[in-house]
Amino acid sequence: MTVTTAPAMVELQGVSKRYADVDALHPVDLTIAKGEFVTLLGPSGSGKSTLLNLIAGMVAPSSGRIVIDGRDATTLPTNQRGLGMVFQNYALMPHMTVFENIAFPLQVRKVPKAEIRRRVGAVLDLIQLGHVANRRPRELSGGQQQRISLARCIVYNPALILMDEPLGALDKKLREQMQLEIKRLHAELGITMLYVTHDQDEALTMSDRIVLMNGGRIEQQGTPDTLYFRPETVFSAEFIGSSNLLAGTLEAGPDGAPVLRTALGTFPVPAPDRPIERGAKAMLLVRPENMTLQRGGDTVHVTGRIEDSILLGGVVRHFVRCADGSTIIVQELNQPGRVDAERGHEVAAGWLPQHGRLLPAPPAG
Amino acid sequence: MASSTSASDLGPGTALLLLAPLTVLMAAILLYPLGVTVWTSVNNGGFTLSAYADLAQSTLFLKVLRNTFEIAIGGTLMSLVIGYPVAMHLAAQPPTRRTAYLIMVMLPFWTSILVKSFALVAVFGNQGLVNQLLGFLSGGAIKLPMMFNRVGVILGMLNFLLPFMILSILGSLLSLDRRLILAAETMGAGPLRIFWRITLPLSMPGMIAGILINVTLSIGMYITPALLGGRQDMMVANLVDFYTRQTLDWTAASATAVVLLVLSGLLVALLGRVRGAAGLSEAGA
Repeated sequence: MTVTTAPAMVELQGVSKRYADVDALHPVDLTIAKGEFVTLLGPSGSGKSTLLNLIAGMVAPSSGRIVIDGRDATTLPTNQRGLGMVFQNYALMPHMTVFENIAFPLQVRKVPKAEIRRRVGAVLDLIQLGHVANRRPRELSGGQQQRISLARCIVYNPALILMDEPLGALDKKLREQMQLEIKRLHAELGITMLYVTHDQDEALTMSDRIVLMNGGRIEQQGTPDTLYFRPETVFSAEFIGSSNLLAGTLEAGPDGAPVLRTALGTFPVPAPDRPIERGAKAMLLVRPENMTLQRGGDTVHVTGRIEDSILLGGVVRHFVRCADGSTIIVQELNQPGRVDAERGHEVAAGWLPQHGRLLPAPPAG
Repeated sequence: MASSTSASDLGPGTALLLLAPLTVLMAAILLYPLGVTVWTSVNNGGFTLSAYADLAQSTLFLKVLRNTFEIAIGGTLMSLVIGYPVAMHLAAQPPTRRTAYLIMVMLPFWTSILVKSFALVAVFGNQGLVNQLLGFLSGGAIKLPMMFNRVGVILGMLNFLLPFMILSILGSLLSLDRRLILAAETMGAGPLRIFWRITLPLSMPGMIAGILINVTLSIGMYITPALLGGRQDMMVANLVDFYTRQTLDWTAASATAVVLLVLSGLLVALLGRVRGAAGLSEAGA
């Protein structure tokens, strides 16, 4: 669901942040539509938290303009931006009860007492934690604390909720549960959410749109599907999902169609999204699940020796060591009665040419 | 936490051995004289509580006791009100600058209380800098008596008490999680509300520790009221001195000292309870 016609909740125009002599964020343009769930994904130091803090007003931009809900917020103090924020460490007030914590933003808004009681009660029911209203945050588990901190945001209906790695401190199982809960709240309440994470699975699971960041720039943005199947750079391909990459030189085949000459052979490749010059360096991406192990060799394939086969539950991963020393990963569905090729056996890892994706070679360095 | 676990790993024998030197020293220089004092206060040619009965009826003693609590509590409260903003300012500084400012806060520590008291006279006395300036500006019309009276005692006291208050509060403020303030800001809270609802309650343990130290230090204060106070500003410690050196009434002196000890002990215990309660609601962080 890419909402392009809906009015914008957040609009960044050429926003950048420079610390002393480090560019934390190069000038960035980004629009987030009302009701959208956008994830800022990237490794640490990629600028995703800086971008979030700029929108929250915790740091001032070095250049550019920030518009929130149609209002120029570039120099607006945090407490007047009308947002909600969920922190990784929950940031619940340790000296207040759960009820007082959730009531706090309503007291700030001078909501009458009776209504505060009603709304806090309602939001506690929504997250199914009505029974802990009188406890203090530290008496609760990490998952419960994070739900309370979500409730504290939801209770005052901010137009935009920012989340800074909110599930980073939770264990895997709880994290997956919370991902679904946040998605459910997003669907039910229709609040615009901007979510920061370095976890690609989390981004793929939750987002309407992923903004992938790298080195203080937006590397690529699009739906989870787009980022997974149509990465535009080697960085995108490697950051999301696992990938096999064959480096080579782009040439014209006998019939004029593009082929990539690599150390392991010459392979037909689909036309790239953005034209790449003939004779230029390029890379071919094939996702492990689009490769199969095969005996014969009439499809496109590379050959190598089985180095290892790993069972991951529903799928099996084969690691194939090729002649040039690189390793190709082949992922197949697990079946009862499966017979793996023995370690050291020669195999062919093949793929359909249309499942490959041609990417420009990454800039040197 | 780590150090307390490792300390409890020691066997009881080792612990006793480590504590022995201090225990012996404290017994010799604190417990023994204290015992003698208590003994003297009830022994005037035989067991008697007459010294205490006399104190209870002595207007001088009651007046001095009132002075003592007024000055100790008043000085402590002023130190709290003056020290808190200083601590807040220090907490907001970058670490290197904070260290530089802290040295200024600590300077009074490194100066003898006698020297400080005389320096205060030079500044606030009738011929002091402040009054000379006031006199110059007003053409001699204004002269504020700030020494050898209650104002002088409080000024001298504050000079001595403030570093303890500031350091205690600063400790609490520095351990306050900044993200709580950020969270409150995103929720729309202004600086005043953030101060009353978050900063102040979460710095309560530091405030109470500061109050506790200040009250304990000021209640037994001797030199400051002696040097900077007037005849009306005698405190209990000065009264003890008066009995021992002027009237040579050792029984009365001892009884006075014991009453001071018991009252300050009660006060400390009371404040300790408040601290315990505040500690319970304090951040787990």
